[in-house]
This record gives sequence, structure tokens and C-alpha cells, in this order.
Amino acid sequence: MTAALTAAEPFLRWDWVEDHTDDIRSAFTEHLQLTAIAVAVGFGLALAMALVAIRWRWTYGPLAGACGVLYSVPSLALFGLLVPVLGLGLVTAEVALIGYTLLILLRNIVAGLDGVEPAVREAADGMGYEGWRRLLRIDLPLAAPTILAGLRIATVTTVGLVTVTALVGEGGFGDLINDGLGRNFSTPIVVGTVLSVALAVALDVVFVVLERLISPWLRAGGGGAGRG
Amino acid sequence: MTRPMRALAMVLATATLVAACGGDDDDDDTSTGDEGAAEAIDGPAVNIGAQDFGESAILAQIYQQALNGAGIDASVAEVGGFRDLLFAAFESGDVNLAPDYVASQLEFLNDGAGEATSDVDETLAMLEPLLAERDLAALKPSDAVDTNAFVVTQETADDLGLETLSDLAEKGQDLTLGGFQDCEENAFCIPGLKRVYELDLSGSFTPLDNAVVGDTLASGDIDVAVLTTTDGRIEDEGWVLLEDDQHMLAADNVFPVLTQELVDTYGDDLTGVLDEISGELSTDELTELNKRYDVDKDDAEDIAADWLDDKGISGA
Amino acid sequence: MGDAWSDMLDYLGGDAAWSGNNALQALLWAHVKLSLFAIVVAALVAIPPAVALGHVRRGGLLAVWIVNVGRAIPSFAIVALLFPISLRWGFRLGLWPTLIALVLLAVPPIFTNTYTGVRDVPPDAVDAARGMGMRPGELVRKVELPVALPLVLTGLRVSAVQVVATATLGALVGYRNLGTPIVSGFQRANKGPLLAAAIAVAALALLVDGAFALADRRAIPWRRAAGRQADVTVDARIDATIAGSGTPAGAAAGSGAAAGATAGSLPG
Repeated sequence: MTAALTAAEPFLRWDWVEDHTDDIRSAFTEHLQLTAIAVAVGFGLALAMALVAIRWRWTYGPLAGACGVLYSVPSLALFGLLVPVLGLGLVTAEVALIGYTLLILLRNIVAGLDGVEPAVREAADGMGYEGWRRLLRIDLPLAAPTILAGLRIATVTTVGLVTVTALVGEGGFGDLINDGLGRNFSTPIVVGTVLSVALAVALDVVFVVLERLISPWLRAGGGGAGRG
Repeated sequence: MTRPMRALAMVLATATLVAACGGDDDDDDTSTGDEGAAEAIDGPAVNIGAQDFGESAILAQIYQQALNGAGIDASVAEVGGFRDLLFAAFESGDVNLAPDYVASQLEFLNDGAGEATSDVDETLAMLEPLLAERDLAALKPSDAVDTNAFVVTQETADDLGLETLSDLAEKGQDLTLGGFQDCEENAFCIPGLKRVYELDLSGSFTPLDNAVVGDTLASGDIDVAVLTTTDGRIEDEGWVLLEDDQHMLAADNVFPVLTQELVDTYGDDLTGVLDEISGELSTDELTELNKRYDVDKDDAEDIAADWLDDKGISGA
Repeated sequence: MGDAWSDMLDYLGGDAAWSGNNALQALLWAHVKLSLFAIVVAALVAIPPAVALGHVRRGGLLAVWIVNVGRAIPSFAIVALLFPISLRWGFRLGLWPTLIALVLLAVPPIFTNTYTGVRDVPPDAVDAARGMGMRPGELVRKVELPVALPLVLTGLRVSAVQVVATATLGALVGYRNLGTPIVSGFQRANKGPLLAAAIAVAALALLVDGAFALADRRAIPWRRAAGRQADVTVDARIDATIAGSGTPAGAAAGSGAAAGATAGSLPG
């Protein structure tokens, strides 16, 4: 009798999938957008912090520590803290998502910039590169692989977190999962889960390819510095 | 630019592009085209508040599609919760129309004073002044009634000899209760049991999504489930609906509540449509609609469209 | 925010917060209980094979793969997916999907970090020990494990924080814990319980993290001497996060943690 509630229901109803391709497609777009915004803004903030940390060394500890605390706070709890202040919606979701990227990005940008070999720096100084110019044309390019590695992790991590942001109203594939959980309907759960994993893997691959594109240049350039 | 820089820039540019593009995806806005429906009527947009359960979503969709068919611009906004959030949305202007239930709404607005009766006209008369205070108005209620149903499995009923809620109060204080979030504050749920039957189950209450309450009851994780009288699974599964012998439950007829502004602006064009819907709704109809949602997993949108079709009310 | 704050104070001052099934302490206990259990099980499952593989220096690819998979699958997805599965198999709601999800999520960081730690024990030390006549079992116990300890602890730490975080999601599949008031709080106007629970969870996660940081410092005396404490602990965690893409993580930053494929963590 009770088994009838669940057993008759197939795990994945393809007819539902067919009927809802529009919803699935817009979930995909939303998921991608949420991720992109978080990583882009996160990178901007992390870069700013990194530059400060490079210039004034003592700030690295506190900055990284603060980001670390943010990172350790469970996402649901962070939403819980943000919702009373910012309400439900895009801003809340993004604030949390951005917060979670900061630690990784900050760390990797600093690590990358630090990894530039002193010999290279001296050479650059010798050639007349100064301050910003050196940063832009020498340090950052050399730091690129490490930074890219950080972006990769941040991106994949964010894709995973976006599934949870569905609870505050903006969730891409997470909305599908949530819908399924709320209705005791496994199909959207499966679809949402599989697709979010697929997206994470796809983005991971994109970054791997990018990393490969960069490294031959560096290897030829004679510096394993900053590879990470 | 050097290669790695280019790669980095590419990543970031793509990210920003993706982030900026779009914004053209609608989730809940089902503003479909009018095929031969009435001409568009000018006026403020109608935002229908849907609470977080299937029946509310279905009713909201019915309202929306019927109004669109009559030429009024209407869309559904998910309130994200229950009555407290609904009224917050009315206050903030995010919502100006919603399907709700007469007695429950009265008890919500009068802070659980216990005034509602099983006579819908009487209850409505008490509700209207409270609505007027908030610049809201009630339209004619339908005959469809959806109250809370306290349900146990046949085994539990047999074991403890439960047939009515009084029986539950007498023998069931140690039982666990499971139901929708709102139950702790809903006047016809936990507070109601306390008030009328002197039964306090708040300590053992587990909030559950409506969809899983049934399974949880079946698996024995909860002893008593709070469902609704329009839930088709009760009969299907052979569960026992405990009788409300002391009449805690009251006239929870479905009715539209809306802002006075909407009534004044649109008049008959709007109220006529909603009245027609209320006229066609019955408890059995509602149960059927719910079954499609809960068991067949159909979308509220489709269920609403089919129902309007059946009734010959032009939807859009 | 002012409203929510005063709602929370009201809530904490009242009975509802401290009695019955939804009492904060009950939720906290459920949360801690489950997390602890999950970590212990995950450790039991992950550490022995990781040590074995690390000792023979095989299976690096497996370690990398496990971590990448673990990183790509959102914790919420696992919990959500297990929900219909466990219902189907007649498991009770709540406990099993959450527990299984937690163990699955906790295993990768522990496994990969332990593996890397054991594998990266300096060959000289291993040779010297062998030269002294140590048998494999002794070698593992007396040399490899102690040297690998920092990374093992890091793996446990990363897992622990992740488990505490993901346990909150169990609320969505019926496992009542501190996540429950948060989730229902999103749907209510009164945000008091939500705020209280959110603060409690955040505090719990930070406490767990801090406890491991302390254990780290205690267990590894030479770290105290290192001086760059803040850097080391932060870096250790980040290295744990730079998942095994095969690239020598952290080497450039001189963080002191072992280079190599150290395990990835997800924020919860």
C-alpha cells in the first residue's frame, strides 16, 4: 500500500524532461550567470586584496584569515545571516557566492605573484620596468598559471554552491532540485543534480585546457615559477 | 598582450559577458498570448500571490490565466512561504490578489482569537472589517472547502482506538505530529488543538514539506499527519481522518482576497471573472486538481489550463 | 536586521527555543552526533587504504580522481539525490540520506591528504628506517604516519568543517538539526529562530576548524617554531583546497605544506 507511493514512480521520467526543456535551459543559463558573476566579482575583490597584501605584507594574515573565516561558515548559515539583512534574491545569493571565492582566489593570486623568481624580477627592474608596468607585463603573466588554477577551483566550487542558493530564490539547477524535493518528485532532482555536476566538470575541463595553453609558453620561457 | 594574460583576460571577459547577457529568462511569468481573448484592459498589473503549497499554486494559476484571458495583465508571484509572508507582500505592494481560505485568514488577522465558525457567511462578515483596515477586500467565497485534516494510519487508529480528535486528545498526547511549517501558528493546527481539545503536540512537531508528509506517515516516522481535506491520498491509502467532533475547524472556503484598488479600478471586469471561478469550484474539484499535482506530478500551470478549458472559462 | 535581531532575542528568551523536539540544544546535539559519526566512519573507510597506497607509492591517479569527483559534485546534490533513493529502499527519512551523503563527502579529503602525506615522506627517512631493519608495519607506524600527520590532520579538518556544513542541508530531507530553523525560517516572516540557528551553525563550524588548528599546532611541535603561524595554517587549508590537478600545489608560496596533490574541500 505504502510502497505504491514511491515504487510506481520511476526514477527519471523522460516525458517530464521533454516537456520541460525550456525550464531546463533557463535553469542552465541562470546557473551559469550566477557562477560567472560570483567568480568575476570575486576575482576583482581578491585581486585588489592581493595587491594590498603584496605591498603591505602584514595585511596578508588578517585578510586571508578573514576570508578563511568566511569560507568556513556553512553556506546555509551564511544565507541565514544574510537574509534578514538583504532579503531573498540575487544580491544575497551573490554576496555569499562571492564570499566563498575570496579565500581561494586571494591565496592563489598572492602565491602566483610571490612565485615570480627574484632573478626575473631583478632582470625586469634592470630593463626599466617599474611598479605597475612590471606588475602588468611581468608578474601577472608569470603568475597566470597559479591564478588560473585558483579560478578553476573557485569556479567549480561556485557551481556546486549555486545549487544551494536556490533556497534564497536564485538557483539555476538548484531550483529543479528544490522543486523535486518539495514535491517528492525524483525526476527534477536527478536532472538538476546530473546537470550541475556536468556543468562543473565541463568548466573544469575548460580550465584544464586553458592551463595547458599557457604552460608551453612558460616552459619555453624557462620558468617553472608560479606553476600551481 | 602576452599569452597568459590573454588567456586570463579571456576567462574574465567570458565571465562578465555571460553574467551580463540574458536576464530574459522568465521563471514564473506565464504571460502567454491571447488567442481571441478579450481586448486588453488598462489598469495596474495584477500580481497574484501563491503560497508554498500545490493547491495555492494551482488556484493562483487559475486566477492568472482567467484574468489574462479577460484582457487583464496578471502574473503569479511566489510568496515563498505562507500567510505571514503573503500579508507582508500585500503590505509592500508586491502582491495585490491571492486565493486564500476564509476562516484561516480570519484567525490569522485576529491573532487566533477563535472567532471563526463553520458558517461561511458569518465568518466572512467578521473578516471583512479586518480586511478593510488593510485596504483589502474579499470577493464571494466558493463552495470548495479545504481545512486541515488530522490523519493517522489504520494501524494507529486500531491500536489506540482513535476515531475523533477528542480520542486523540485523550489517548494521543505522546504521538508525534508532522505537517507543514505553518502548523505551529495556524489557528486550525497546533494552536487549535490546544485551544479546543487541550492537546499540545507542539513539542513533538516536525515541519515537513507537504509532499513528504504522506510518506513520512506511511513509514511511521510520524504518528499523526496534518494533511488537507482535499488531499486525495487519504482515501487512496486507507488512512483514517480523525473527526473534528468539537468543531475546531471552521469555514475554510476558498475565496479571492485583493486590494480595494483593484476592485475600484477594474470593477466587474475583474471581479466577474473571479466570481465565475468561485462559482465553479467545489471541494471535489479541488481534490481532483490536487491529485494531479501530488500524484501525477503535473505542473500547476497545466492543471489550471485544463480546468479552465473544462469549465469553458477562457484562459490565456 | 533590527527586526530580526529583536525577534531572535525574543525567541531565545522564550520557551520554544529550549523545549520540545525543536529545542536548540536538541538540534545542536543531533547535528554534532551525526557529524561526528560521519567523520569517524569516513576516517575508518578512507585512512587504511590511503596509508596502504601511500606506502607503496601507487594509486596517485586514484587520489587525484577521487578528489576531483568529490569537488565537482555539489554536496546539496548528493543529499537531494539520496532522498528519493532512500525512500525507495524503505529507509527512514532524514537520517540515512544525510548520513550517507556526509560520509561520501568526507572521504575524499581524508583519503587524498592521507595518501599524499604518507607518499611524500622523504625517501631518505624511509631508506634510513629500512636500513635500521624496520619491518613495513613498523615503518608505517613509526615513520610514515608521524611524518604524514600534518596532512592527515588537515584532511580530517577539511572534512570535519565540510561535514558540519553539509549536515545543515540534511534539514531539507527531514533530518532535524540546526539547519531546520534556517530552512523554515526562509519561509516565515519571523526570522528569530533562523538567525539563532545560523549563528549557532557558523559558530560550530568555526569551533571545529579552530579545534583542529589547535590540534595541528599541538601535534606538530616543529610548526610552533616555524614562526609564520598565520600563513601556515591558512596555507595548509588552501593547499588542501587546491585539488589534485596534478600540479605542485603551493610550492611557489613556500607554505610548508607538502607539495603534491592534496585534497580539495568545498565550502559547505
